[in-house]
Amino acid sequence: MKEAKTTSELKGDAVPRSGLKNDSRASINDVVITHEDIDRAHDREQVSKTRARRGFRPRLRLFWLLIGPGILVMLGENDGPSMLSYAATGARFGIGFFVPFIVLTFAMACVVQEMTVRLGAATHRGHAELIFDRFGPFWGWFSMIDLMIGNFLTLVTEFIAIRAGLGFFGVRPAVAVLGALVVLSVALMTHRYWTWERIILGAAMFNLVFVPVALLTHPHWGMVGRALVTWRPLPGGIPQETVLILLADIGATVTPWMLFFQQSAIADKGLTTRDIRMGRIDTVLGAALATVAALATMLATTPLFMHHMSTANFEAAEFAQALQPFIGHWGAALFALGIFEAGMVAAITISTSSAYAFGEVARRPHSLNLPFRQGRTFYLVLLVEAVAAAGLVLIPGIPLVYIVLLVNVIAVLAMPPALLFLYMLVNDREIMGVLVSPLWANVLALGVVIILIGAGLLFGISVIAPNALAIIGGR
Amino acid sequence: MEKQFDSAPGSEVSREELTAVMTSLEPDQIIFTKEQHHCPRRRLTRTEMLLFWALRIYLVFMVGVVVYQIWTGVR
Repeated sequence: MKEAKTTSELKGDAVPRSGLKNDSRASINDVVITHEDIDRAHDREQVSKTRARRGFRPRLRLFWLLIGPGILVMLGENDGPSMLSYAATGARFGIGFFVPFIVLTFAMACVVQEMTVRLGAATHRGHAELIFDRFGPFWGWFSMIDLMIGNFLTLVTEFIAIRAGLGFFGVRPAVAVLGALVVLSVALMTHRYWTWERIILGAAMFNLVFVPVALLTHPHWGMVGRALVTWRPLPGGIPQETVLILLADIGATVTPWMLFFQQSAIADKGLTTRDIRMGRIDTVLGAALATVAALATMLATTPLFMHHMSTANFEAAEFAQALQPFIGHWGAALFALGIFEAGMVAAITISTSSAYAFGEVARRPHSLNLPFRQGRTFYLVLLVEAVAAAGLVLIPGIPLVYIVLLVNVIAVLAMPPALLFLYMLVNDREIMGVLVSPLWANVLALGVVIILIGAGLLFGISVIAPNALAIIGGR
Repeated sequence: MEKQFDSAPGSEVSREELTAVMTSLEPDQIIFTKEQHHCPRRRLTRTEMLLFWALRIYLVFMVGVVVYQIWTGVR
């Protein structure tokens, strides 16, 4: 169409919208232009102009224009339950096996998310839409329902984190949760993908607040380095608790919503095949930042391990309170603030991934570039899901700890079926053309699937037949 | 930040905006085109179908395990 409809073919100075009042579209010849197209085109104009220039500053500006979905998805996944998992890992095992293990899980996330970058840039379509189109409505709705259930449960845990984080400062649960809903709604009011992305990116950077907290604990850097190289000391046997933490740490980095969110965000941002390289850099940079934040959280709670403190039933605020004697009030406050931020950013990105997926499958407009009137379904799905999750957190007597546990485990279990769809789509020459996965990418993806299924089965054995773990070194 | 990044268009679509859309977006990025042309459905092979169902059964079974663990935990 770019070739077929050049500017010389455009007739008249302006095309009134009044002709198509209901959906605010303007038509020229056979092409209908939407509000969403215009916003995206403006963004792409900037990219084209910047790309045409040479030198360091234009390169840097191009980087600034194109980054976003990768960093957002990686820091978004450093959410409430994830940070809680890392905190529990540090408090239970200290510095050792889990330091390189967390790095490995983020490497796995990079392998998976790189596929969504290629898929989104090559097809300009969201993940749910592609599954629906290529594999039919049956599998399309199946994967949609998986995502919706997983996302809803995860959203509940995000509001648990928000409540717990602000609870440290004496904020009442209802005020914390309602405040978070207001922030989420305000971010949507921009009606502009670009502005929304920049706001959330800025907020996501606060995930690194765990770095100063870790520094306050004066970590033994020699031990950290040794652990990274040798993967030791090992956890010691494979009791059920270790298996759970192992699974929770995997679930903290590789989850189905990430596939749906990054691909949809790439399509919404308007990235093309020329931007794949920058999309990869964006993803790796996001993974690196998220790894730093995750390891910092783990290191921050290591003093609890050193002092043999039992943290089995700790929630986020309790970690902050327990750390206070070691890092002072300000350190603990930063930790609590980090938990709040993790929950807040993830609540926004996860609810957005649900809204994208629903819009794609239900064939409704789905873009953050849409004004509310045009994207009613998109915004309503997003808000209704968030409000329902927030409401659940406020019900007295709900077993919140079990919901957190459930979410992390389900994320790992739901990943292999989601990865199979992704694997098949990214190897589909009909839609990917020359951008199909090379052999090395397929081998790595297969490795991730094997690790995920292995971890799931290990968890299954630990629950159904805990004694069987003794055979493989557990107790 | 340049003006283009600021906001949505006004009440009319100007010639400049149409030009921007036509020159800056790839054909299949335009919403109208995307709505008109969906990716064709592919036929799944027997192996692919088997894999889909195997992983589906795996998921259902494992969710059952999680529910069992929570049930025993609550008790």
